[in-house]
Amino acid sequence: MHLEAQAQRALDTAASLGADYADVRLGESRDENLEVRNGVVASFSDSESAGFSVRVLVGGAWGFAASADINDGELDRVAALAVAIARASGKTRGQGITLLPAGSFQDSFQTPREIDPGAVSLNDRLSLLLAAEAEVRAAKGVTVARAWMDVWRTKKFFASSEGSRIDQDLLQCGSGVHALAVGENDVQDRVFPGTGGLYQSGGYEIIKKADLISNARRIGEESVALLSAPRCPTGTMDVVLSGDQVSLQIHESIGHALELDRVMGWEANFSGTSFATLDKLGSFRYGSEHVNVVCDMTCPLALATHGYDDEGTPAKSVYLIRDGVLVGYMAGRDTAHVANVEPGGCVRAEYWGRLPMIRIGNVNLEAGSVPAENLFDDVKNGVYMESNRSWSIDDKRLNFQFGCQIGYEIKNGKKGRMLKNPTYAGMTPTFWRSCDAIGNAASWVAWGTPNCGKGEPLQTARSCQGAAPTRFRNVEVGVGYDG
Amino acid sequence: MMVEGLDTRSELESVLSKALEASKADETEALVAASDHSLTRFTHNAIHESVNERNCQLSVRAVVGKRTGVAATNKLDAENVAAVVRRAHDIALLSTDDEQFPGLPYGSTQAADLPDAFDPATASASADMRAAAVAQIAAVMRVHNLYAAGYVSTQSDAIAIANSKGTRRYYQGSDSAINIKAIGPDSSGFAEGFSRKFSSLNPSALAEGAAKKARDSANPRALEPGAYTVVFEPPAFREFIGYLSWIGFGAQPFDEGSSFMAGNIGSKIVGDEVTIRDDFSHPLGDGMPFDFEGVPRQQVTLVDKGVARNVVYDSYYAAKLGHVNTGHALPAPNSEGPLPLNIVVEPGTTSEEDLIKDVKHGVLVSRSWYIRLVDQKQTIITGMTRDGLFLIERGRVTRGLKNMRFNESIIGALGRCRLANKLVRSENHVVPTVRIDDFHFSSGTEF
Repeated sequence: MHLEAQAQRALDTAASLGADYADVRLGESRDENLEVRNGVVASFSDSESAGFSVRVLVGGAWGFAASADINDGELDRVAALAVAIARASGKTRGQGITLLPAGSFQDSFQTPREIDPGAVSLNDRLSLLLAAEAEVRAAKGVTVARAWMDVWRTKKFFASSEGSRIDQDLLQCGSGVHALAVGENDVQDRVFPGTGGLYQSGGYEIIKKADLISNARRIGEESVALLSAPRCPTGTMDVVLSGDQVSLQIHESIGHALELDRVMGWEANFSGTSFATLDKLGSFRYGSEHVNVVCDMTCPLALATHGYDDEGTPAKSVYLIRDGVLVGYMAGRDTAHVANVEPGGCVRAEYWGRLPMIRIGNVNLEAGSVPAENLFDDVKNGVYMESNRSWSIDDKRLNFQFGCQIGYEIKNGKKGRMLKNPTYAGMTPTFWRSCDAIGNAASWVAWGTPNCGKGEPLQTARSCQGAAPTRFRNVEVGVGYDG
Repeated sequence: MMVEGLDTRSELESVLSKALEASKADETEALVAASDHSLTRFTHNAIHESVNERNCQLSVRAVVGKRTGVAATNKLDAENVAAVVRRAHDIALLSTDDEQFPGLPYGSTQAADLPDAFDPATASASADMRAAAVAQIAAVMRVHNLYAAGYVSTQSDAIAIANSKGTRRYYQGSDSAINIKAIGPDSSGFAEGFSRKFSSLNPSALAEGAAKKARDSANPRALEPGAYTVVFEPPAFREFIGYLSWIGFGAQPFDEGSSFMAGNIGSKIVGDEVTIRDDFSHPLGDGMPFDFEGVPRQQVTLVDKGVARNVVYDSYYAAKLGHVNTGHALPAPNSEGPLPLNIVVEPGTTSEEDLIKDVKHGVLVSRSWYIRLVDQKQTIITGMTRDGLFLIERGRVTRGLKNMRFNESIIGALGRCRLANKLVRSENHVVPTVRIDDFHFSSGTEF
């Protein structure tokens, strides 16, 4: 049966049972993963999943049901179950849901791509990883060497009772190398590119440009050198963060804090709420005047880019922080009215079987004007930190502590000796207000985060936080090791 | 394929048979997992999300010599099953030899029976039943002038595994959970319950527990960072144990030397009172009697009275390290190695009340949050408290505190701990309340 006919059947069933609104998503994903570990293929897999879901609004309450089995009977059963669930929810529904219209779109979207991964043989892909992993392992003293790549394809069809019929074909790729060095009482990790590899929207060109082989030996050598490096000092000092570390800082202390469902308490028992409450919108100084953050669901290469979100809202670009001031939230059709903001097309589900919810999209810190190599200028005593090793933040997104894989002393504007176990901590607004320089566009990268967790049942989402290396003043450094 | 009521053994086994019959690989393993999960979520004392999902996924591991390939699908008609088998085989042919791969395990040993693992009433619990539980929780909150956020979930799962060397396994289990955060103007409190039988959970009693914490922690004050005697209730302590399990109790980090267990088998690593086991069959737990290769799980003592004893193995690491396979494989492809999934920390001899009674100036933690590893070898973690942090003065819980960040070595902390005599399930682990001396809080937050 054609997708449109299948969707229409479920919509009709939902309407006949009393749904005030319904949308249907039919989806199919195919994930390929290759990983080489210490010279052996540790994972070589190809996994596909297909199914559909029906979301209905009945009397101001949501119901949602999903199934992997796509046939007439199941379309009817799932649509009816979604309505029954909504009716059950309605018995304790509070004020009820207000759903903004999305409009009616007949459209299709495909992620831009230069090289179809399917045109690259599995043999060639494996050869690349074997060569990269061998380079990591060639560094004397490396205990574990890894190289991996992922190719993720998602096809989905969205139909709503408002008339939208939207076809999308998303392609995302990522790869990386990892070195683990084990010392007597110490374990040190290095990953390239970034914290966990380079993940972006696009084709096999994303994997090629990561340039794993050229960087693999260095990553291995750095992991071993870290075992004998001095520990990061403790104290208050200036910090320059690599772009990929800034990316995670944005994710945790801006992205999650500005999800409107969190602000409204919808995640209170699990992911938490937010210090960035509605009363702060339009006036709260979130960061210094250098800090401009936009959620741009149309950003080229960015991992969350799509044409429409999973409730039929077109992808948009929405400012969250402008000149350091909080000016927006990531919002969906059932939350935006509360803050009088616009749904930005960032409501997404992990796959066909999960309820769409507000997810960090492409939350980008706009590039500054400083060449990255000049960020150390004017730093008398500080630390440069690169690539995340640990991250933790409270459930209102205020008190954070991050650890990085590698650090370097900065003395009188110059990069000095390597430091192990660099960490820093702070409170979100204080930290972002201390930002006094951001690297320029040449150093800006659309860093992807492939594993953001939120929601119950837990959903993993792929987000992006574009960033350049950035400088912060008077940061608490070297926490974690002395209690 | 329908997963109607999960009365599906013959259907799942039929899928496995089709897969094994279609395979031309030297060895073949097929795993099919069916799930029917429902979850109703609430906030502000009202339901805002309620979902059901049915799925059934077939995963095939093909072996050609010392090469393996894995492919998976949830399209379970004959044509797609044959296609996924071919794909796994093709991948195996393209892969490289792993000389240490021992072949798939034989299925000669009997797996334990867990007759109480599946409760049909839980498997078929309706949205109305979950909504009724939410209504009970909301009613308690209104009495206390609080509101609650949380969830009520019910689910059933069936797993069947077969391989070309005689393994045939089937398991069907149910589970349910209630999670409540009670919220007041400047405080919150937490309670959770887990059971294979939904009817054994008491929404009102859990709600009263969460509400009491929210009320008692109202008007919290800040505590100076520093070292304190700290009592961790099971939801807080469980997170520590989950991290230990991941970084140290599996054979892979043990083999690579990154585990705190490496080089320490037979050595005292934590306090005398600490015995940690992996036990799939614990009556409070949600364990499965075999692993994802179909090998019967063993009960494994990881730490015995403070002494490091064992890590857990799958077929690969058992062969590589010359150890008995303890039945702790994860689904293929698995680059993480085996893991214990059902940790039990044996109880101590002291009641929870007595653990608190002789604390002169300490802290009670109801729930921990966002724990991350700072240093793997030293087992240093950082994390936050949430949803009920209290001051203990002269043996009594006296008032609420603003939440704090900690940085502490788990192994170090377990060297300075005492354990309560009551066990509670938290997620998939079973743990008691624990008291830890000289536990380090490094900073505070605003709430």
